[in-house]
Amino acid sequence: MSHKNRNLEKKSTSQSITGFFKSFLEFEESKPLIALITLFAGSSIISPHFLTWYNQRILLLQMAPLAMLALGETAIILMGSIDLSPGSVMALSGTVAAIALIYWHMPVGVAAIIGMLTGAICGLINGLLITKAKIPSFVATLAILVAGRGMVLIITGGMPVVGLKPFTFLTSDIAFLPSMVWIAVLATILLYFLMKMTKIGREVYAIGGNEDAARYSGVNADLTKIIIFTMAGILYAISGLMMNARLEVAYPWTGWGYELDAIAAAVLGGVQLTGGVGSTLGSVMGAYILTLITNILILLGVNPYYQWVVKGAILAIAATVLTRGLRYVK
Amino acid sequence: MVKIALKAEKIVKKFPGVVALDHVTFDLKESEIHGLVGQNGAGKSTFVKILNGIYHPDGGRIFLNGKEVMIKNPIEARKFGITLVHQEVTLVPYLTVAENILLGKMPLKNKILVDWDALFEYAEKTLEELGADIDPKTKVKELSVGEQKLVQVARALAERAQILCFDEPTTALTPMEKESLFQIIKNLKNSGKSVIYITHYIDEIFEICDRVTILRDGKKIATENVSEVKPEEVVKMMLGREVSSFYVVRKGEAVGASRKPILEVKDLSTIPEKAHGVALKNISFKLYEGEILGVVGLLGAGKSELGKALFGMEKIINGKIIMDGKEITIKSPYDALKHGILYAPENRQLEGLIPEMSLKENITITTLDEISRFLGVINVKKEREIASEWVKKLGIVAPSLNVKVSNLSGGNQQKVVIAKILQTKPRIIIFDEPTVGIDVGTKVEIRKIIANLSKQGISVILLSSDVDEVLSLADRIITLVKGELTCEMVNKDVSKDEVISLICKAGGINVVS
Repeated sequence: MSHKNRNLEKKSTSQSITGFFKSFLEFEESKPLIALITLFAGSSIISPHFLTWYNQRILLLQMAPLAMLALGETAIILMGSIDLSPGSVMALSGTVAAIALIYWHMPVGVAAIIGMLTGAICGLINGLLITKAKIPSFVATLAILVAGRGMVLIITGGMPVVGLKPFTFLTSDIAFLPSMVWIAVLATILLYFLMKMTKIGREVYAIGGNEDAARYSGVNADLTKIIIFTMAGILYAISGLMMNARLEVAYPWTGWGYELDAIAAAVLGGVQLTGGVGSTLGSVMGAYILTLITNILILLGVNPYYQWVVKGAILAIAATVLTRGLRYVK
Repeated sequence: MVKIALKAEKIVKKFPGVVALDHVTFDLKESEIHGLVGQNGAGKSTFVKILNGIYHPDGGRIFLNGKEVMIKNPIEARKFGITLVHQEVTLVPYLTVAENILLGKMPLKNKILVDWDALFEYAEKTLEELGADIDPKTKVKELSVGEQKLVQVARALAERAQILCFDEPTTALTPMEKESLFQIIKNLKNSGKSVIYITHYIDEIFEICDRVTILRDGKKIATENVSEVKPEEVVKMMLGREVSSFYVVRKGEAVGASRKPILEVKDLSTIPEKAHGVALKNISFKLYEGEILGVVGLLGAGKSELGKALFGMEKIINGKIIMDGKEITIKSPYDALKHGILYAPENRQLEGLIPEMSLKENITITTLDEISRFLGVINVKKEREIASEWVKKLGIVAPSLNVKVSNLSGGNQQKVVIAKILQTKPRIIIFDEPTVGIDVGTKVEIRKIIANLSKQGISVILLSSDVDEVLSLADRIITLVKGELTCEMVNKDVSKDEVISLICKAGGINVVS
């Protein structure tokens, strides 16, 4: 009798464990979180330097600009669009802010705001090209990718803008961590809230899920797209300011290729490139994973060129896991 | 004794929430053109997709030349000599005609290089056999839609098809192209091949078919020899969909001078947005407060286009829309919504719902302003309340409010579409085939909902090809034929036969009753 009871008990605990696991898997960010925890634990084991306060601080500092790009990019991908311009927009905004500081002798706060306005304008142009000129987002943002980089080279003459010490207020500590890390954390929370809990976030998911149905339901899809692209531009600009602070120099080639890191972060975070599925929180986890890979390879003394190969391989694996069950993809 | 080329016995196919084919038995003789007719959702396309291995039946057997076969996929179907000529053109536009005809089985030299001479020679021979005057070296994108259709037929022949299924082949063709296609189909028959010909144009059946099978709501109604049946009998079998008890009778309360028109459409003309769309020509009508206006017509009559034009989804080139005595412009659904005009699309999956979103999110998507507070923050509690109220009111069957809407049955999906429309407190609702593709029980419920709307003062435009549905619900009826309004009448002492004869002109035949 008692034996029987114990058996039943055993069964119910194992059931509740599988039950917990199932409900965990239903949680949107479960897959990137598992990947992140696995990589984090693995790295802690293989390198004694990984799990140190000093190293984690560097990791977060490196991750913050990418996180800002990933947040903007994800909001756009969730609408079913794509943005290829983040790298150029961050460079242009950072450079404009640096020029405002050094050549126009503006206070650093004003320079930062001018930089963010630059990002907003780039985003707005993207939004208008897509909704008014009806250019597919891939092409419109490709144009801004190319033209934006050109603008940077023109205004800098191809030379770096140096002496950006005043921007280091972003790298100075507030409550144990550099302030730009806190900015990234704040942006992550805000974006998650915006996407999940507000009207515009709901519209973003609706447009990405089925744009026809969203329009038939009275969603002003063009306006939503313009707003989201503009907001993304501001996020990229903040990323550019972070780079100014970290390097104390505005290089004209800053952010070269970063748009692909931003998209990779979204894919690693479980965001579906066709839109409507995923979350900004997942993408930030993706950004962390990408930074972690670079970090651990450096700690292990691996030739830094290998990081691209490893990143590529992890991306392919992640994408395979995420698209399992689909009949075919393009 | 004529040989039976193909026999399908008691084929059953179920989709979530609806039985698409209900024990359909069908046979096809050698050298026969067998027409398959029925309205939307009757199951014709599902049936040929089963014969071609695209769908798998849930029951029933298929015999080829007397032997039972299992058709697992389209490739296997082709091995059995069955080919489907799709309704849409399924060719690669940037390749030549010859490459398209032999796609997947290009003749090779030394097993590697394409043998271009053999390729063009073979293609030319096939086209000649068909009697189609097309140069195999032209690119497909340079051909007309009709010629592309012929290339599709040539491809089927290159696959050595014995049984060819045509799915609505004439939809986009000019009369001339149609004639040459018909000649080719007759040639196929004379050379011993069998043809299944799906259409919704009755006149085509009488032009080329030997026998015709009528499907309605997944059931076979009859198979007749074309020489022994009259067009109007076929139409009646096609349309008289259900037993009378499935219709909600709401005989119109007197409409006229006592009520004021809420909407007036004057000389409306449009250019179709879609490639196969119909252009509306000078449509004028009035819609009164609390009225149900039935718009009937066969497929291709322009019903959907009319609904979409009033919802800002068609390009209006001429005409006025007057609401409450004032002229309004509707350029997008967003504008239409502001005027209280809503549209329930026929294609719920593609135009009505956001599949990845939950039931509750789909209901509130039209009224996000109403459920959001300061700075657009969504009031989750209010959202739940609104959604659960509609679930109760309309009897939506769902495990929870958070279930993905794509997991609901067709009938429940339609109710979600209605809920999200009613939530906006609309003044005019345009229903486009509201009961197509859903089970009979839910059909009745949806008709009741529509009947009740007029009591609340909401005006309804009911676009339907189900004549009984319109006759039982509408106050007034207008008929459309190929984009033109042909008749407007008060639904009083109107017989079904009269309406059928009016809309049948869409198929180019005059039914004298």
